[in-house]
Amino acid sequence: MASLQLTGIRKSFGATPVLDDINLTLEQREFIAFLGPSGSGKSTLLRIIAGLESADSGEVWLEGRRIDTLAPGERGIAMVFQHYALYPHMSARENMAFGLKNARVSKDEIDRRIAAAAAVLEITPLLDRKPAEMSGGQRQRVAIGRALVKEPKLFLLDEPLSNLDAALRLRTRVELAQLKQKVDAAVIMVTHDQAEAMTLADRIVVINDCEIQQVGPPMEIYSRPANSFVAQFVGSPAMSLLPATLVEGREFASLKLGDGSVVHTKVPLAGLPGGELRLGLRPEAVRVTDTKGTTKAKVDLVERLGERTLIYAHLAGGQQIIGEDEPYSQVRLGDEVQLAIDGESAHLFGPDGVAFHRADA
Amino acid sequence: MPTVAANIRRGRLTPLGWGGLIFGALIMVAPLLWTLLLSLKNNSELVGHSGAALHGPYTFENYVAIFGNSLTTRWLLNSAIVALGQTAGVLILASLAGYAFARLEFPFRRTLFVIVLLGLAVPSQAVILPQHELFAWLHLHNSYPGLILPGLVAPFGVFFMTTYMRGIPRELDEAAMLDGASRWTIFWKVIVPLTIPAQSTLAVFTFLGAWNDYWWPLISATRSDMYTLTVGLAAAQMNYAQTSGLGYLMAQAVFASIPIFIVYIVFQKQIVRAMAGAALQ
Ligand SMILES: Nc1ncnc2c1ncn2[C@@H]1O[C@H](COP(=O)(O)OP(=O)(O)OP(=O)(O)O)[C@@H](O)[C@H]1O
Ligand SMILES: [Mg+2]
Repeated sequence: MASLQLTGIRKSFGATPVLDDINLTLEQREFIAFLGPSGSGKSTLLRIIAGLESADSGEVWLEGRRIDTLAPGERGIAMVFQHYALYPHMSARENMAFGLKNARVSKDEIDRRIAAAAAVLEITPLLDRKPAEMSGGQRQRVAIGRALVKEPKLFLLDEPLSNLDAALRLRTRVELAQLKQKVDAAVIMVTHDQAEAMTLADRIVVINDCEIQQVGPPMEIYSRPANSFVAQFVGSPAMSLLPATLVEGREFASLKLGDGSVVHTKVPLAGLPGGELRLGLRPEAVRVTDTKGTTKAKVDLVERLGERTLIYAHLAGGQQIIGEDEPYSQVRLGDEVQLAIDGESAHLFGPDGVAFHRADA
Repeated sequence: MPTVAANIRRGRLTPLGWGGLIFGALIMVAPLLWTLLLSLKNNSELVGHSGAALHGPYTFENYVAIFGNSLTTRWLLNSAIVALGQTAGVLILASLAGYAFARLEFPFRRTLFVIVLLGLAVPSQAVILPQHELFAWLHLHNSYPGLILPGLVAPFGVFFMTTYMRGIPRELDEAAMLDGASRWTIFWKVIVPLTIPAQSTLAVFTFLGAWNDYWWPLISATRSDMYTLTVGLAAAQMNYAQTSGLGYLMAQAVFASIPIFIVYIVFQKQIVRAMAGAALQ
């Protein structure tokens, strides 16, 4: 049986559409990340699932039960809010017990669940403290604990790590991954941090422009982006998209770039639309070289990351391109460089942004 | 350069600063001390020269005389019932109305809130005649409801609680909804406990206002057993009180202000905070 099922969810705020025909099915115990730019409707979708916002149309089912008609507290869902939303006047223990008391769980059972959750989250010494007496990371744990003790069928996490500093975020990310093994429930996490989504999620749901752009496991999203938006949004730095025209080829597409150089891809020619296409290149597919006769570009920025150097440049036609060089690169700002383009790993997008994939990918 | 106020906050004060503050405090406290001393003197001794208050013999006879009036304890009780009743009523009504304005969607919400705000601008004196008529028609004069009810119309309280509750993050309500709390549970277990600072400020001001109120009880309570303390003591003043009963008059004043004194001491922190808040706005 599926865990969560969304069918035909639509929502607009006034005249502004926010979600348009969202359909999604979660497997049991699946960890899903909603990934998308700010304002793309991730939180809104999460709040519709939780019942804090009502959809204009569509249905929400959880483990075979229709829940969009139920009150938030009756849905079997627990949520961890971005700013934790702990009750300031209650101790950690009272915060965790509040929902259970409302559900008339027995006192012994409440104590047992709180003790168990506190042990897992290592917050036992904090149980009698109020939120104001805790650090951000500790509050975060208590908020997770408050969700855990409810033993829900579905966890919703809205940007759970965004308020933590970099080191703590990494640690908590690892802990969330471990926690996921222990809980018997599906999890949806909203994030606009792709590294977070890539490490934690079984599947990523990329949302933009009111719609789901792509659903798939992290590596599939990375290596077979469904369209140019996903291609550019996932991966850091972003994939370069260069306008290119199809030139004669036999089996696979070859493309001419703005500067006249030709790139031979592994994308089958069959089914490609004619005319203007866009060639998608990840930085690792574009390398600085000494070989003449390759693509020429002028350097706008050199970014030294230690293990590699990123070269931001533009072609003669003005198109932006991002490539790589070795750590001790001699390239300087303003230099003319030769770029060797690895056509075999290139992606190809039609005029409407839809991807055409390599035969082997 | 740090201001005087900043220096005081840091506990640093020049001798000149201290002198100024002490001087100011003395000026404030002198009339109170004078009242207290006068109240402890025999009336006839004061007829000749009120400066007699500066030396003995002192006596409690004026205070004994206050209780000599059999109705004094009754008035004290009336004042307590009216002031506590109004305070409790205002807290309950202002909290409920504040929650509704801050969190619920209902028709004419904005219009109603504007009407509440307009209520702030209407002085109670302006409506006292129709109010008197209304209470006469309802047969509520000379009753506790008659004394308490007008004080429950508290536009400031509603405005104050609305603003305060709007400042509480909605995420808390939402977390509570997901925790299966009913609307009432959210109000009572989450929102109200977070408004305790506002509740105590509102309580202090309402209590003091009700205790000191003179005009409405003067008009509404015509039977002496329904007087509040302020009205009763004024009515019980002897003729020529200013000359022949000065000590007694002062004892009344001291006696009537004891509860206020207690409230000020107990709620010092809230009052100072509320005043400071008002000053900053
Ligand atoms: N209550 C509301 N009333 C009107 N518009 C809203 C409301 N809530 C959200 N929106 C709008 O809906 C759109 C989606 O908002 P949402 O909060 O779902 O975005 P998000 O993907 O979570 O963004 P972020 O990553 O910044 O949190 C935004 O354009 C936002 O302005
Ligand atoms: Mg959001």
